[in-house]
Amino acid sequence: MSKIVLDNDKFLELYRVMIRIRTYETTLRTLSREGKIPARFGMYTGQEGVATGVSAHLKKDDQIGSTHRPVGHLIAKGINLDKLTAELCGKATGFNKGKAGSYHIFDPETGCLGANGIVGASVPMCAGYALRNQIKNDGRVTVSYFGEGGSNQGGIQETLNLAACWNLPIVFICENSSPVVQRMLGHEMDYPQLTIDNVSIRAAGYGMPGSTHDGWDVEEVYRVAGEAINRARSGKGPTLLEFKVHQFEGNLEGRLEANEKDKPFCPIDVLEHKLRIRQILKKDTEEKIRLEELELVQKAVKFALSSPEPDIKEAYTDVFGGAF
Amino acid sequence: MPERIITMSEALNEAMFNEMKKNSDIILLGENVSSSFRGPTKGLKDAFGRERVRDAPISETSFIGAGIGAAITGLRPIVELMLVDFGLVAMDQILNQMGKTTYMSGGAVKIPITLRAVIGAGTSSGATHSESLYSLFAHMPGIKVVLPSTPYDAKGLLTSSIRENCPKVFLEHRLLYNVKGNVPKEEYTIPLGVANTCNEGNDVTIVASGLMLHESLKAAEKIKNKVSVEVIDPRTIYPLDEETILKSLQKTGRLIVVDEDYRYCGFSAEIAALAAEKAFKQLKGPIYRLATPNTPFPFNPRLERELLPNAEKIEKLIQKVIGE
Repeated sequence: MSKIVLDNDKFLELYRVMIRIRTYETTLRTLSREGKIPARFGMYTGQEGVATGVSAHLKKDDQIGSTHRPVGHLIAKGINLDKLTAELCGKATGFNKGKAGSYHIFDPETGCLGANGIVGASVPMCAGYALRNQIKNDGRVTVSYFGEGGSNQGGIQETLNLAACWNLPIVFICENSSPVVQRMLGHEMDYPQLTIDNVSIRAAGYGMPGSTHDGWDVEEVYRVAGEAINRARSGKGPTLLEFKVHQFEGNLEGRLEANEKDKPFCPIDVLEHKLRIRQILKKDTEEKIRLEELELVQKAVKFALSSPEPDIKEAYTDVFGGAF
Repeated sequence: MPERIITMSEALNEAMFNEMKKNSDIILLGENVSSSFRGPTKGLKDAFGRERVRDAPISETSFIGAGIGAAITGLRPIVELMLVDFGLVAMDQILNQMGKTTYMSGGAVKIPITLRAVIGAGTSSGATHSESLYSLFAHMPGIKVVLPSTPYDAKGLLTSSIRENCPKVFLEHRLLYNVKGNVPKEEYTIPLGVANTCNEGNDVTIVASGLMLHESLKAAEKIKNKVSVEVIDPRTIYPLDEETILKSLQKTGRLIVVDEDYRYCGFSAEIAALAAEKAFKQLKGPIYRLATPNTPFPFNPRLERELLPNAEKIEKLIQKVIGE
């Protein structure tokens, strides 16, 4: 296998996606706190390096399954920000007519096949996307995201086994946001939720490769995700990748404040530092990217706010996929 | 057309064979579905290969979830549950994901899955191998619930189920697999939501499904010189053909519901509520329900018989209803 390395343009592309996610979440969180938009969603702040490094290897029709912290996954996969924002605000112009909210967004167009309000529940369905890819044999792969808390769910354990038994083209991505203390993010817990440091060691129990990496280093994410995705795409089966991340904002937006000691683990700070030293990112480029991304987000908010509410009849439609 | 007598098991096999032959997007998943010993799926692996007729490990959450995911991405999976009771370990995937995703996605995704499950008491199999549970599935949104009683209906209803673009739970009573009946060789469908009046009568209406239809018909036959009994098989628990039942009540004014599922909050209560709401003025007396009490099934055959409705109990109830 050829070595997976980033050229300068690709570096800047990843930087831009991470800025987009961060700008999007912080802008919407502020507006939400001020009561200006009704959006409410689980934050991905501090984890941007993972979705960005992973999705850089995905094509439009590859599928992802997400969590209740979906915005970063969706944006990295290329979802339309206008419709995303409209959906988060419950508007008729959202991807799902305002019926999904943040927890259940589906956009088949970009292969975003489900955020999920039940911890770990998108993972068994991801095995189905991968099964479709295997049967159709058209080279598509599936990426299935979950957290270290979700990793304890039976459905995930079962799916790791099933994916190995069926040799499915899928990559499991565990974003471990409790890298130091084994606790559930944003919740006080007296007992640990895990007694192992690395969730990835579970891969051995299901007969697939597994490894643990720094999720705050997008270069590292890009490299190992690329290997796992290539492996899946070439029919060699599933991989479990674990990325340690420092989640800055807690479980639901605004519940926890950023922790100063987490700052060295900010994937954007880490990348900026690298790119400045290597003279890939200049001050004016950085400012330009940040401004452009802010404008994109502001446009999306404007679109959402000026969009109509869903018709009251929509409460009854789509139960079986058509008029009820 | 000459009669062609086959078993329900063969009729189900024929429906799956015909549909799978025509449409390569139809796959079959489940425990031991490749086995040559089991009636409904016999020969399908040989005909369509191990890719499409795929054995799964004993992990219902993962393979039902995989079926849902495969359906979301365009396949038309038939997923087999060896017994409906085993579906209880996978309720999140069935009720939350399978039943709600089309609605939550605002119709952006369709889930053409047929979840086949074996049901039924009467074989001394104990509390976790004997249930019917159709009331439970019918209670939840987004799932059609199908329950054939004859080989003819089995073939027509399964063909319709496989072709419909929404989630279906398709229930097969274990004591009806070897029941024989006339089944045309050619393809045909029976729409979901159309009841069948199996016996015409004027004095009392019985609504009964699955094995209970056969018990009700036996009772009606036995008492036919004294009482004229109309027996209706809803064929689908949801959607329900209300019209056929209400029309019958206009004629008879008396209603008995015979139900193998648990009585409390069950299908029998739903039919009784229908009559009370929409046929109150036609009713000549109270509505009677003969259903399994809210008791787990015992292993002991005598104790099990005590709980279940049967022809003898139905006949006694008819006499009581007519005597009032």
